[in-house]
Amino acid sequence: MFRKRNTASVNSEEIRAILDEKKTKMKLSLKACAHCSLCAESCFLFMSHDKNPKYMPSYKFLNSVGVLYKKKGNVDKLDLGEIRDIVWERCVLCTRCYCPMGIDIPEMIALARRICRSQGVYPQYDKE
Amino acid sequence: MNYIMEFSTIFSWTFAYDFLKGPMVWVSFIVFIFGTLFQLFKISSLMSKPERIRLSAGPGKFISPPPSPENKKSWYLRFKLSIAGVNPFMTSVTAVFHVLLLILPIFVLGHNILLNNAFGISMVSLPENISHRLTLVVILCALIFLYRRILLYRVRLITTFEDYLFLILAAVPFISGFLAYEQFFSNYKLVIGLHILSGELMLMTVPFTKFIHMIFMLIVRFKIDGEYSLGNGDRVW
Amino acid sequence: MVKAKRKPLEEIKTAINGYENILTVGCGGCVSVCLAGGQKEVNALNIELDRSFKKENIHKRFDGYTIERQCNEEFIKELEGNADQYDCILSMACGAGVQNMAAYFPTIPVFPAVNTVSIGIDKALGMYEERCRACGHCVLGYTGGICPVTRCAKGLFNGPCGGTNNGYCEISPEVPCAWQEIYNRLKAQNRLDDILKIQPPMQWQNQTPRTIIQEPYEKRYLG
Repeated sequence: MFRKRNTASVNSEEIRAILDEKKTKMKLSLKACAHCSLCAESCFLFMSHDKNPKYMPSYKFLNSVGVLYKKKGNVDKLDLGEIRDIVWERCVLCTRCYCPMGIDIPEMIALARRICRSQGVYPQYDKE
Repeated sequence: MNYIMEFSTIFSWTFAYDFLKGPMVWVSFIVFIFGTLFQLFKISSLMSKPERIRLSAGPGKFISPPPSPENKKSWYLRFKLSIAGVNPFMTSVTAVFHVLLLILPIFVLGHNILLNNAFGISMVSLPENISHRLTLVVILCALIFLYRRILLYRVRLITTFEDYLFLILAAVPFISGFLAYEQFFSNYKLVIGLHILSGELMLMTVPFTKFIHMIFMLIVRFKIDGEYSLGNGDRVW
Repeated sequence: MVKAKRKPLEEIKTAINGYENILTVGCGGCVSVCLAGGQKEVNALNIELDRSFKKENIHKRFDGYTIERQCNEEFIKELEGNADQYDCILSMACGAGVQNMAAYFPTIPVFPAVNTVSIGIDKALGMYEERCRACGHCVLGYTGGICPVTRCAKGLFNGPCGGTNNGYCEISPEVPCAWQEIYNRLKAQNRLDDILKIQPPMQWQNQTPRTIIQEPYEKRYLG
């Protein structure tokens, strides 16, 4: 938790600017999330990974966009790497997730992906 | 007239009780109503109404043919696939909890007597033994939520301090109302004061916390067009 | 997924010859997975084009941006504010994505940078084989999972022609005869009856642009 952050290679201003574009919706989504975990069963990845809670849509968006917002963009490459794993390895943006509150989770994941891409972090499909 | 009040008067329970019962009720309702309207406005500003596409088959245009009536999804299938079919226990607990949460404060006799005293109008009231037992049901549901939050890993993983706080805040009016009615504690004023205070706090925090899901959910379900919308939604984000 | 291959550099250069400010837009969907048009390929293309033009002493501005998918307008909206500073857009998405981009920005020329080849499978890293031609009438149930439309050179539906040569197609000794493979597969599963029935000729459905509407949404669009 208290790892020293090397934020030199990450442009926090840029991250904040992208977050600002969707500020209202993002803040509303983060606020309205009741942390109920009822979205879990609608994610096929959750169901097929032995119901591992780290695949729940709410977990994914709270730990990607949520983290970026709470830290106000002051993340380092390691944090972005973790976020990359969440939004690309554990989500395919099939947009079928269901939230009882009606939160648009795919848009939050897409926003996190956009921020990662802006910092040069993207999925590597050519890793052998 | 001497308007200077002594400290002992300000900090007495009587004063607090009168304050909570009087001006504070107005304050909390005003904050609730205006706050909710403000949030409603914010949510509406995120929605737009696109033009609906209409298609008709014609030469050079191929549209997948509609299925025969036998292929229509039956109600049973739709139910099974909805959240009620997937999580029936949680769906029913939360439905009961929320329905009672809204109905009890409106139809309980005590509140209607106060309304009658203040404005001369009141709603139909539930008989006291029924509202008393329904309060127990609400407390039971809140305990089930607490159980989930503490003991189920998948909920614990995304739980924050606020979740516990707001669950307790939602449950305290019912618990204190129950205890006050039972006259469990000898200091009735204290318990009822807590009841009023927690109810007011709950109202005031609705627009600014996750309690906003009260209106957010209704708007999204009925107005936004999506896979899970109910009715004819015609707006999109 | 859809498989594509980047066009030869010369062809792309000819297309963007008259333009000064070029935005290369990548797609995070199918072309990313088949290593043809993802973020890395966008950067690579921009560097190659820049160097190639600089050798001829031509200076152009190349910017790159990758969006989630170009087949969905919602993701193209991200480019809205920035697109007007460019005189042309080079899209690295599949044909559908290029068309969607062109429709969204009707006043800016949009050029494709990849050739969309087919719907295919990932045979190995970097190797993608065509498997499906989206004919709209799938008969894989009868042919043991081998598509006669795609794998048979003549697209025959009822057995091999006379040109099958020791299990290989007459067009080349390296192309296996699809119907030989179908026969082998069905024989192993004891389902040869499936191909003994005569299949009616394929109603070629991919000659006119098709729109599909999923069942729950029929009432909405078909009125």
